[in-house]
Amino acid sequence: MSKRVGIVAVAQNAGAESKDNFYDQAYRVTKEVLDKAGLTRDDVETIVSASSDIYHGGISCANAYYWETTGAFMKNGSRQDGESLFALFYGAMRIMTGRYDTALVIGLCKGSENPPNDTCTLMYSDPFYLRNVGLTETMAAAFQMRAYMEKYGITEEQCAKVAVKNLGNALGNPYAHRKGRYTVEEVLQSPRISDPLTELQCAPQSEGMVAALLASEEKAKKLSRKPVWIKGFGSSIDAYDIGDRDLLDGQLKNAAARAYQMAGIKEPAKEIDLAEISEPYAFQELMWCEDLGLCRAGEAGKLIDSGKTERTGELPVNPSGGVLANNPYVSRGLQRAVEAYLQITGQAGERQVEKKVKTALAHGAHGFAGQCHAVAILGL
Amino acid sequence: MGRPVAIIGVGQTYHGKRMDVSYPELVREAVMAVFKDTGLSPEDIDGVVSGTMPSMMEGIALTHFYLADAMQSAGKPIMKTETCGSTGVSIAHTAYYWVASGLADLILAVGHEKMNEGDSQATMTTVAEPFYQRYFISGAPGVFSMQSQMWTVRYGISEEKVRDAAAFISVTHHEDAFDNPYAHIKMKVSMDDVKNARIITYPVRLLDVCPNSDGACAVIFASEEMVKKLNRKPAWVKGVGYRGDEYFFGDSDKAVWESAAQAAKEAYKQAGIKNPRKELDVAEVYNPFTFQEMLFYECFGFCGPGESPDLVLKGTFTRNGELACDPSGGTLCTNPIGATGLIRVAEAALQVTGRAGAHQIPGAKLALAHAMGGVDQFNGIMILGSKL
Repeated sequence: MSKRVGIVAVAQNAGAESKDNFYDQAYRVTKEVLDKAGLTRDDVETIVSASSDIYHGGISCANAYYWETTGAFMKNGSRQDGESLFALFYGAMRIMTGRYDTALVIGLCKGSENPPNDTCTLMYSDPFYLRNVGLTETMAAAFQMRAYMEKYGITEEQCAKVAVKNLGNALGNPYAHRKGRYTVEEVLQSPRISDPLTELQCAPQSEGMVAALLASEEKAKKLSRKPVWIKGFGSSIDAYDIGDRDLLDGQLKNAAARAYQMAGIKEPAKEIDLAEISEPYAFQELMWCEDLGLCRAGEAGKLIDSGKTERTGELPVNPSGGVLANNPYVSRGLQRAVEAYLQITGQAGERQVEKKVKTALAHGAHGFAGQCHAVAILGL
Repeated sequence: MGRPVAIIGVGQTYHGKRMDVSYPELVREAVMAVFKDTGLSPEDIDGVVSGTMPSMMEGIALTHFYLADAMQSAGKPIMKTETCGSTGVSIAHTAYYWVASGLADLILAVGHEKMNEGDSQATMTTVAEPFYQRYFISGAPGVFSMQSQMWTVRYGISEEKVRDAAAFISVTHHEDAFDNPYAHIKMKVSMDDVKNARIITYPVRLLDVCPNSDGACAVIFASEEMVKKLNRKPAWVKGVGYRGDEYFFGDSDKAVWESAAQAAKEAYKQAGIKNPRKELDVAEVYNPFTFQEMLFYECFGFCGPGESPDLVLKGTFTRNGELACDPSGGTLCTNPIGATGLIRVAEAALQVTGRAGAHQIPGAKLALAHAMGGVDQFNGIMILGSKL
């Protein structure tokens, strides 16, 4: 990497429905991240936000609506649509050119003001063929889960264990929207949403203003005693039609390979201490662990059985509770990076893992059966 | 700062009411055109930047999914940049920063819109805040009419003069569009036609307004190394500027378009431009309304505040004038919104590389590309030059 970019401060709000309006929430999170870095809004040079018009309460051009709320008045800024890790990447790119020393990246999504997530994901479907079928992310995920279980002999119980683990982890996360101590049976007996997916294996619809303040190497060292460096990042998008794709051989491997190459990671299973993975559907945590190289293909069932990915395990996955616990659709990728930052800096409170975290992975996924993936590697 | 970046190829669709193609087919047309222009193939591309206007326009959300195949982006890193009407220039900025950061050598930028699939004014109305402003806005013309009025009153420009100048802009741009093979509206109009056209929102009349176009534009950005390796005639990125103003209409001064002025200032500083009217050879100004084009001339420092109508009527900004503005016919004749800003960038690149064909400004070396959006909140600039 030509120029190092560090994260010097983060802020987020709670995922449960809030009576506070969009502006209040966005302002508070922006103010908090600036305060933590000891900056005023005049000090921030550029602002890259992430939001989607479809997840923005019926207001188009979402970033026009909240522009000055994020401190962007008369600043050079931009917006990424759909995936907030893209905003992190774009903020980092801007700093890497040497043109900026500070960049605020912020994902904004107030789930409680939107139609149900799948009413929105239906709008990803093309108007000629898939729209009439009613294809949504949940339905695409159900196809994918069935194929995954059949190919590798993964059981419904193993998939449900992800929900048990993550909703349990969420008990230690004050920002988590859904949390609780559940059994595998309770997860499996919750209402069937789209067979074989049950309700507790599907993410809720949450609020999420999530911010990270980025700085160039020199500036980061001034602003923070312990900056977390963005060591690598990568993304990849798949073909559109789910009939054209092998749902078990997607683009996460490519996205991860790009991030690993940039970060100089050769053996992810050994070199990564902790992973925050976007798993809007429980089984996807297993699939994505395989694609990220944290275990071999088809072996994530054994991985969850072994307890290795528990908060107290060797390779904690989603100690925050992940997306199953908190799902502010667009903001969830950046939320993973923020959680990884908190773990690396030892600020994760009750959800802090026991082991020492030097290198952590943050992952974002969106689209039918994970059409698009983004991966960031953060570390000391 | 950052690595030098250049545009090495552009591709456009034949813009218009394209009922002969689907949305992905439209995008494919532009993407294939840029590959044909550069001799590159999709395998050569390191990443793709995509962008449109709001989902409501075509009724498809997060279009990078649907258009992944058409953009030849499957298996590649992707960014999805959206900043309302200024999306096209913001896409170009993203591609620029991506290459300038050192992370990529060849980035494909694609802007697209198929406006005849939806209702653009209904979409635009949803940009306005729902409790107070939405009742008044009635699409884009409402805001821009108020702005024109405020500006003419502020600088004491007579109603007759500003009407004449706006009509002159309409006449000359519609004439220019005949020389642009990709332009949408190609019609001969006279001063009287414009002045007697159907009123939209006073003082804006039908021929002061851009059309609803279907169109896409694809541009390839390259590192200096790649420019040399591929031996392409480059249009170097000399400056990028962007600013956003307040959201509520009443909170900002419309006669002094601060975001436009500041965005230009930022880009000029990087490009070392002190006297834009003298130094620039071409300006592709985002002009969905004739009146706004005059305001932009002033914001961009082509002349002082309130001076533009006189200069317009003198022919200063025509194709043969001192600073050719929108020789392509501009947004006034072609407006597929998500692509429009990128078309301005593509046209500026064609001009400084001497490849603009029948609407080439002879000897053009330095050009400005601009886009505005959200509804009027955002302004973005990219300056391109023939020399590094």
